[in-house]
Amino acid sequence: MAKVLDIKDLYVSFDTYAGEVQAVRGVSYSVDEGEVLAVVGESGCGKSVTAQTIMKLNPMPPARIKSGSLTLGDIDIINTPEDDMQKIRGKEVSMIFQDPMTCLNPTMKVGKQIVEAIVHHQRLSKEEAHAKAIEMLEKVQIPNAEERANQYPHEFSGGMRQRAMIAMALSCNPKLLIADEPTTALDVTIQAQIIDLLANIRDELNTAIVLITHDLGVVASLADKIAVMYAGKVVETGSADDIFYNASHPYTVALLNSLPKHDTNKSDKLQSIPGTPPDLLDPPKGCAFASRCEKCMKICRHKQPPVFKLNDGHEAACWLLHKDCPKEGGKS
Amino acid sequence: MAEDKVLLKIDNLSKHFRVSGGILKAVNGVSLEIKEGETLGLVGESGCGKSTLGRVVMGIYEPTEGHIIYDGQEVQIKKSKDRLAYAKHAQMIFQDPYASLNPRMTVESIIAEGMEIHGLYTPEKRKERVHELLELVGLNKEHANRFPHEFSGGQRQRIGIARALAIEPEFLVCDEPISALDVSIQSQVINLLIDLQKKLGLTYLFIAHDLDIVRYISDRIAVMYLGHLVELGTSDEIYSHSMHPYSEALLSAVPIPDPKLEKEKKRIILSGDVPSPIDLPAGCPFAGRCRYATDKCREEKPALKEVKPGHFVACHYPIQKD
Repeated sequence: MAKVLDIKDLYVSFDTYAGEVQAVRGVSYSVDEGEVLAVVGESGCGKSVTAQTIMKLNPMPPARIKSGSLTLGDIDIINTPEDDMQKIRGKEVSMIFQDPMTCLNPTMKVGKQIVEAIVHHQRLSKEEAHAKAIEMLEKVQIPNAEERANQYPHEFSGGMRQRAMIAMALSCNPKLLIADEPTTALDVTIQAQIIDLLANIRDELNTAIVLITHDLGVVASLADKIAVMYAGKVVETGSADDIFYNASHPYTVALLNSLPKHDTNKSDKLQSIPGTPPDLLDPPKGCAFASRCEKCMKICRHKQPPVFKLNDGHEAACWLLHKDCPKEGGKS
Repeated sequence: MAEDKVLLKIDNLSKHFRVSGGILKAVNGVSLEIKEGETLGLVGESGCGKSTLGRVVMGIYEPTEGHIIYDGQEVQIKKSKDRLAYAKHAQMIFQDPYASLNPRMTVESIIAEGMEIHGLYTPEKRKERVHELLELVGLNKEHANRFPHEFSGGQRQRIGIARALAIEPEFLVCDEPISALDVSIQSQVINLLIDLQKKLGLTYLFIAHDLDIVRYISDRIAVMYLGHLVELGTSDEIYSHSMHPYSEALLSAVPIPDPKLEKEKKRIILSGDVPSPIDLPAGCPFAGRCRYATDKCREEKPALKEVKPGHFVACHYPIQKD
């Protein structure tokens, strides 16, 4: 399968009054055609910043790409000037956001907003573009698409707005769709509808999807591959099964254990991760998770762990996986 | 742990709001009992009236109809004196730990404010009590002189909990206390709430939309849809033998964090959206989206009936599964 997106060793920082916030510190991941990659992590771990860098949506300054490479198909995104980015956004890669209400223009009819995206990238007449917009709305299962296209966003419910956003994002057949917390603002029953829709899009259009979320349930239902991020770094990547059943990084393990299982009783305590993530203004010298890690060793505080390969596609950055590491790790 | 003494009784409670399009019926004829020392989970989608119900129970809104009986006495909130007396027993924890703490007050004055209002303790004793409370919720007394912006989301939620506990209430309404927090922090706050319940013998009304967390923390669960109570039962009953088609669909929609189970699971996808609470359907509120609905459902509103001991359902055709 063809690689749609390939990020290698990306560093992104923000220059603020307080100093340089190192939001992304050496992130690498890739997505193939028709594949869903879920990027999981807590708020502030850099998952959204990485995704926004794919489309160069971060205002620069204050943001700054320090080093690394980012290729979309055969386009080198980092060295693409802004004028050319305009042609790439929406056509090669598009994005759907968490809150559909703030992303749709409230003063413009929904159909017209989709038409706008279509005519920007394709040579189509007004009528053709309008017909295409309605076809897209039908594709995302909006009932009475023709009528709905003439309505304003406030006349849509939350789930319908998210569908309209997806229709707009897909209107120019992008190779890659970035979904940044697409279901976080929605109710579970509506969330189920959107998950279903995204799975259909992947199967029918073979679109690659980068799904950014903190909800591990959503991840389990959609993802083929998972990248777990912590404090600006990818700490573990692997197939969905690798991560859910053979998690190797203590952070991934702790994250999975902190969820109540179907058979957890109230008398069993939920496992929690003590402490809070580090401040990225001054990231720790060693492993960023060391101060919250149960199995922290001496070396973890001094030296950043390299990435260890566990099997084909499953990698984790943790000293515990070093061949000379004692079985039990450090203090437990 | 659930004793049989009823602490709070809600009797046929309704809350309607006058809005420009008519009357918004947020809560309609809800009756339920909360026993001393238990956690009652209240779940439903946004707009189902769960937060409104929580606020009516707290005495923030006056009910349009119906009564709230707390510890054998009807709750009066018309006079501010009565409202204050009730607040001594019932306190609330809010969803957004950023918006619910005054950014211009120190942690100490935030926590001590309730004690001042209720005239509890001398000023020196209050300070001591603030330190005690901070330690109780897992912070320390050095935090007392700081401002809310110096804390992370999880820590702020702890401050909110300390504030709620300051005047020693017996009953806490927790309105989505963990929705704004990250997963690893959520479990810290949940563990804290459970610890406090054991230590202080608190009773919780726990409002949330995260169904896994609700199942974990609650003894009993009430499911609401469009302002109506549709199902009420013990947490295990609701999760393994839900009888209302809405509860069934709601539970099946929750994605399980396990790819294999997730693939095997049959998900019931509800079509359409929740109808407007301004223009309520005549029959069962769920009839328009229910896959079992018949003409009877569209015409006649089902009453809440006890189908099994302790398990109540408002449906003409409750699902019977073994």
